[in-house]
Amino acid sequence: MHILIVEDDEVARNYLAKALREVGHTIDVAGNGLDGLQLASSMAVDLAIVDRMLPKLDGLALVQSLRATGRKLPVLILSALGDVDDRITGLRAGGDDYLTKPYHMAELLARIDALSRRGDAGAAAANTKLRLADLELDRMTRRVTRNGKKIELTAREFQLLEFMMRHSGQVVTRTMLLEGVWDYHFDPQTNVIDVHISRLRQAIDKDFDKPLLHTVRGAGYSLREDE
Amino acid sequence: MEPEQRFLGVLASSPFRIAIVYSIVFAQGAVALLGAVYFAVSEVVDRSTDNLIEAEVQGLREQVLVLSRSDFIELIEQRSQDQDVRGAVYLMVDPQLRPVAGNVPAWPKIAADQGKWIQFKVSVPYGDETREHEMRAQRFPLPGGYRMLVGHDVQERQDVKNLMLRGLIAAVVLTLLLGLGGGIWMGRRILAQAGAISAVAMQIMRGDLSQRLPVRDADDELNTLAREINGMLDKIEQLTLGMRTVLDSAAHDLRTPLNRMQASAEAAMRDLSPTSPERRVLERVTTEVDHMRSTLDALLRIALAETGTVAREPVDLSALVASLVELYAPVSEERGIAFESTVAAGAEVQGSRQLLAQALANLLDNAIKYTPDGGHIRVLLRGTPAGAATGGPEVVVEDDGPGIPADKREIVLGRRVRLDEARKFPGSGLGLSLVAAVTKLHGARLVLDDAAPGLRVSLKF
Repeated sequence: MHILIVEDDEVARNYLAKALREVGHTIDVAGNGLDGLQLASSMAVDLAIVDRMLPKLDGLALVQSLRATGRKLPVLILSALGDVDDRITGLRAGGDDYLTKPYHMAELLARIDALSRRGDAGAAAANTKLRLADLELDRMTRRVTRNGKKIELTAREFQLLEFMMRHSGQVVTRTMLLEGVWDYHFDPQTNVIDVHISRLRQAIDKDFDKPLLHTVRGAGYSLREDE
Repeated sequence: MEPEQRFLGVLASSPFRIAIVYSIVFAQGAVALLGAVYFAVSEVVDRSTDNLIEAEVQGLREQVLVLSRSDFIELIEQRSQDQDVRGAVYLMVDPQLRPVAGNVPAWPKIAADQGKWIQFKVSVPYGDETREHEMRAQRFPLPGGYRMLVGHDVQERQDVKNLMLRGLIAAVVLTLLLGLGGGIWMGRRILAQAGAISAVAMQIMRGDLSQRLPVRDADDELNTLAREINGMLDKIEQLTLGMRTVLDSAAHDLRTPLNRMQASAEAAMRDLSPTSPERRVLERVTTEVDHMRSTLDALLRIALAETGTVAREPVDLSALVASLVELYAPVSEERGIAFESTVAAGAEVQGSRQLLAQALANLLDNAIKYTPDGGHIRVLLRGTPAGAATGGPEVVVEDDGPGIPADKREIVLGRRVRLDEARKFPGSGLGLSLVAAVTKLHGARLVLDDAAPGLRVSLKF
């Protein structure tokens, strides 16, 4: 994937570029907002990572200008600001996701992955039935079956599974789950998400040979069919 | 506002009261002025008729001495018929009080003890009907037991006096009514302006510092006041924006190096084997970065809550508490802690959902952290009592952990206070401080109490 990094902090930019290249992405970098806007509008960039505070052209202004020209590429905003309302401001300006510094690379990679496959997820959202191996989730009847056997889930477990299935094959972090399923934007002190995942795992994997819900060490969880 | 309330509001408004006081003062002035005129005029009118009668009596007394009775009777008849002397009345009676001459039909009944002046009523033709007219007269004896009565019709004088009296009453009533009407009009006007001002003030208190008081194109006190308050608001907005800028740059200047630290540690770790001692050191570094980040997040959120610049919206507190209960219950059950909850429906507050969620999550985190395995946690949301105008919802979180001693409840709400007993538990020590800041931002009251055993935290909106 072709990713544009617009970040004025050279150290952070270089590490980010290196890490993304290592996982196989093509990277372009810009150190200020104007260069970033130029690169983002003229090239076949698939995704942009934009720092919020940039010289010459502010990160939010960059995203707004980009959206004003009709460019639809996914944009992840990185912010070193105070938080709480900044996230909403960032998303309103046209950002697709928002991450506060300092972040774990695993978190950023998982979000980039989710953003780049947003098109697939959108298509999946249009389907009433989501499938992974022998696991099937019907969003209309709110029925979940595995290998034809009905699985009883609470409303929240259903939502959690739906989110995981929409991102099947990807790594989903705890923060992404807390944001996507519960709409909370803070880090709980306790392992709340882990407990919910382990309950979901009990429900969908316990009576079956092949587990579908995997823990990804140091990153989060992934729902996938293991080889 | 209900119409009745609005009416009472007008009655209670200061311009209305001022208008009432003024109209009473003006009415008193009108009474004094018109009263003086009334008395002066009636004095003058009374005096002139009395003088007229006195002169006539004097004249007739002289005439009776020089004229024969028949000439005198003729004189009386003449004067009675004289159209030029309008309103003059004469009556001459014989010793049996039978009328001899004059234009009054009968001798009036006169009380014995009455003085020189008498007053009586006489029916006089008035177009097709007759009217009772008030007469004022003097009487004097004539030779031979005859008696004479000379007087004047004072009905007109009475009418003028009555008219003046009515005018006086009307003027007073009119002054009072005008004062009342003006008071209501002014009261409503000022009330409307004050209402607009307090509506804006409410919005400002909810955190929308860009709002300004409405100012009309006039130089009255309210407008001057509104202008001055707006100037003050400009200053406050400037200061708050300044605070935010400081917070943002502090955040930026701390997050940027933390981010570099995290990135370099992660980059260095990638090339190391999972068991190498260097890797373990770097993992410690990233753990510390995480720790600093959560402390920084908490501090920034506390500071933001305290500047009051956080955006507010209606928050469905019932849904929020229910969802947090649902998020946390499994964790506590995992540890054998019984988690009970009673959540009233329909509780709503104005505020920041994220900050409220964080604050309540901190309470639940704490409860779970400090409650021993097999303990109890109770969460209660009470809605606004039906029919009660005041008193918002209340959220209560109770645990049966060690609790907080009564003398230390105040201090734990300050920044970074962790009681010695709590040091064995992980955490930044900012949890309750954030709860306190968020509670204050929402105009709620935070009470720490003994749940006997354990801690009882109540947020009363």
